[in-house]
Amino acid sequence: MLALVLILPLVGGLFNACFGSRLPRPLQALIASGAVFASFLAALACWPQATGAGLHVNLFTWLQSGGFTAEVGLLFDPLAAIMTLMVTGVAGLIHIYAASYMADEHDQARFFALLNLFVFAMLTIILADNLLLMFLGWEGVGFCSYALIGFWYRKAENARAGRKAFIVTRIGDLFFTVGLLWLFSLFGTIGIEAINGRAAELDPTTLTIISLLLLGGACGKSAQLPLMSWLPDAMAGPTPVSALIHAATMVTAGVYLLCRMFPLVSLSTMALDVIAVVGMLTALYAATCALAQTEIKRVLAYSTMSQVGYMFLAVGLGSVSAAMFHLLTHAFFKALLFMGAGCIIQLAGHENNIFLMGGLRKRSRSVFWLFLIGLLCLAGAPLTDGFFSKDLILATAFAHGDPFHLSLYGLGVLTAGLTSLYSFRLAYLVFGGDYRGEELPHAVSKVMIWTLVPLGISGLAGGFLNLPHFIGGHAWLSHWLGRDNEVPNLSLQTEYYLLALAFGTFLLGWLIAHLRYHRFVEREPGPVSGFFLSGWRCDAFFDRLLIRPFRQLCRFCWQGVDLALIDGLVESFSRACFVWGHVLRYLADGKISRYLQSFAWGLLLIVSWFLLRAIA
Amino acid sequence: MIVPLEHLLILSTTLFFLGLVCVLVRRNLIMILIGVEVMLNAVGLTLVGASSFWQQLDGQIMVIFLMAMTSAEVSISLAMVVYLNRRKQSIDIRSFDEMRG
Amino acid sequence: MSATLMFYILGAIAVIATLLAITRRNPVHAVIYLVNSFFALALLFYLLGAPLVAAWEVIIYAGAIMVLFLFIIMMLELAPGGETDRYGPNWVKWVPILLLAGALGACTLLLTSLDPTTADGVPRWYASPRDFGYALFKEYALAVEIVSFQLLFAAVGAFYVGKPESKRKGRGGEA
Repeated sequence: MLALVLILPLVGGLFNACFGSRLPRPLQALIASGAVFASFLAALACWPQATGAGLHVNLFTWLQSGGFTAEVGLLFDPLAAIMTLMVTGVAGLIHIYAASYMADEHDQARFFALLNLFVFAMLTIILADNLLLMFLGWEGVGFCSYALIGFWYRKAENARAGRKAFIVTRIGDLFFTVGLLWLFSLFGTIGIEAINGRAAELDPTTLTIISLLLLGGACGKSAQLPLMSWLPDAMAGPTPVSALIHAATMVTAGVYLLCRMFPLVSLSTMALDVIAVVGMLTALYAATCALAQTEIKRVLAYSTMSQVGYMFLAVGLGSVSAAMFHLLTHAFFKALLFMGAGCIIQLAGHENNIFLMGGLRKRSRSVFWLFLIGLLCLAGAPLTDGFFSKDLILATAFAHGDPFHLSLYGLGVLTAGLTSLYSFRLAYLVFGGDYRGEELPHAVSKVMIWTLVPLGISGLAGGFLNLPHFIGGHAWLSHWLGRDNEVPNLSLQTEYYLLALAFGTFLLGWLIAHLRYHRFVEREPGPVSGFFLSGWRCDAFFDRLLIRPFRQLCRFCWQGVDLALIDGLVESFSRACFVWGHVLRYLADGKISRYLQSFAWGLLLIVSWFLLRAIA
Repeated sequence: MIVPLEHLLILSTTLFFLGLVCVLVRRNLIMILIGVEVMLNAVGLTLVGASSFWQQLDGQIMVIFLMAMTSAEVSISLAMVVYLNRRKQSIDIRSFDEMRG
Repeated sequence: MSATLMFYILGAIAVIATLLAITRRNPVHAVIYLVNSFFALALLFYLLGAPLVAAWEVIIYAGAIMVLFLFIIMMLELAPGGETDRYGPNWVKWVPILLLAGALGACTLLLTSLDPTTADGVPRWYASPRDFGYALFKEYALAVEIVSFQLLFAAVGAFYVGKPESKRKGRGGEA
């Protein structure tokens, strides 16, 4: 049954890849979304078995060499179960959405095949019981995201964005690989449970370095500092892809990896602190960048980065349940936002720029309300799921109590305020005022809107998954994950203070956004907003730091080494051969008698040589 | 051995150089081939003489192989002569210089 | 008449015949002189204790190969001819070949009076055909095989090269 969860998307994807182009369009979409939904149902059927140590299924032995065995084994424990349900559920909705969104595109079969394969790879990451299989899924996800971001590959910048995503995440993959191999050489096994169980045997330095290597891998996939620059560019892909890859699933793979390896990572305090700092800085960085973006999807991309930063922060604070809670809620509302953004883009006539939108509330009420729900969740409006999950992270930070964690808490609150600010900026720019664009409006299909509804509901109700005790909840998710001890232990009064503070920052952000963007004013982008718009000029920085020297090195290798040295050597050799050939061709004059004479002279030479030797 | 080996070698060398001179000097393809035959026979004489000198059979067996090789060579080269004559209506060696570099 | 003297006589005949052969303008004459030279060589081989080789020298060289030469010469009409037919045989041209042939005949007759197993009363070494056969097909069996292949290839090659151009493009089986 568990294998079905994994295999169904693979079969769907392969089927679409092989035969999809010959089938009628609705059937392609039907196969793809059917496969994912069937997978969702299968996961649901497996759910009861996920308690405790979880369900362990060994499919077959992949390869065996000496002491090394790679099993294709699945582990369905509470953590994986939650993730599986989330991924298959959200992906199923996105598939349906995509069926409508991509209805007019070419190559629909390719799109759905890749989408299904992506889900398959993601599920491989989630369900793998050893690191190698996980790495396989990890690479599969990377490949599929590359192919999907560059789906409209005929435009050079799209293909370039795909390449960038692939290469930057690959840098992270390198760290992951090194960590993986190191772990194997230390333990002689790649089973996740085995490694986690024996992690305590390692000496602290090694442990810290391995944890940091895993962090590097996670950073690449999850677009954390300093490997974050691919995510905004990845918005070149089709919107459903953005929703699936860059909101709900792929970027959370890094968080999932850290949660999976948490028993190992948590043994190193320093690694945890680094994770927390990386997450917090990314959250802050991305929030500031989101403030200035002009394209709706880039705003969402930066907000994704920022929220994933929160998840890292949660892991760094040692709270897997908080990270997972935020991961789940974020998946719901970010998928909602991205899919809503797709609707908005269609409403505005395929216009991405929010300064050319406005007044869209009147165009479609349903889209407005659904998108607003998403934004409220993102901004952390009270009683939405984003509010609870973010608050849990911040409360955990506060509960640690020491200056380091308190400063993280402070930054977290600041970021929350910024989040609220850019969320409402987006809302005002898109929906408020009058329409500023020129394109004629397009209708949005009903299917697309209806797929948003379940996400909107779960966005509003997702908070009940892990309602804190002090408002009468039971922290179900923490309990399910077997991490009751992670629920921050604060006095009721402090909790209320924290809640009030969170609510205050939310209101403050809203207020500023209201004052600034309530009426649309055309503003020249100042130096600060320009700085934020370009993502703190990180691309330029990396360009100068890495790409240009690399280019120069390549140029040197090309012109200096290859053209001048190697080609020069080869060509001069060939030229020498050519010249000699020209000289020697006079010997081959075709006159047979002369050849025969040469024989005779040669004979004479040989004979005289023997004679000389005989004399000497 | 009925004569000193040196005398035999002198005889075969004489024959060999006669053949060589024929090969080098004549322009008729047939005559060149005849020169080759003479040279080969001179070698055969040397081999038989050596066989006689050391009283070993191997030299004579070499002559047998030499003859077999000669037959092969003659059959091919005479076929070539026929072919070349058909192409150029001539067997003068100077008319075959297409292999000029 | 000792074998030693015979050697020098036959050597002289071979050298003179060869010299005449390579200087002839008419290839047919050259071949005739060469046959003479080969006969002389065959007798030399006999003297040197190689009766079998001598026989083959006559059969293969003087017989087969030289006939092949003659055949090709005639086929291609390479011999300058016609004079003798018109003015009768030119006897002067016949003198050297007749002399050489006569000397050879005399030597052959003299050789029959010699016992090949002894030289001047001393037993001498010679390769009997039986020893020769044993050596050839036992020690040199592989070489014999290789040489036989070589002859086969030569036959095929000669067949191919000698075919007229127009027929060569057809299927290989055509003659």
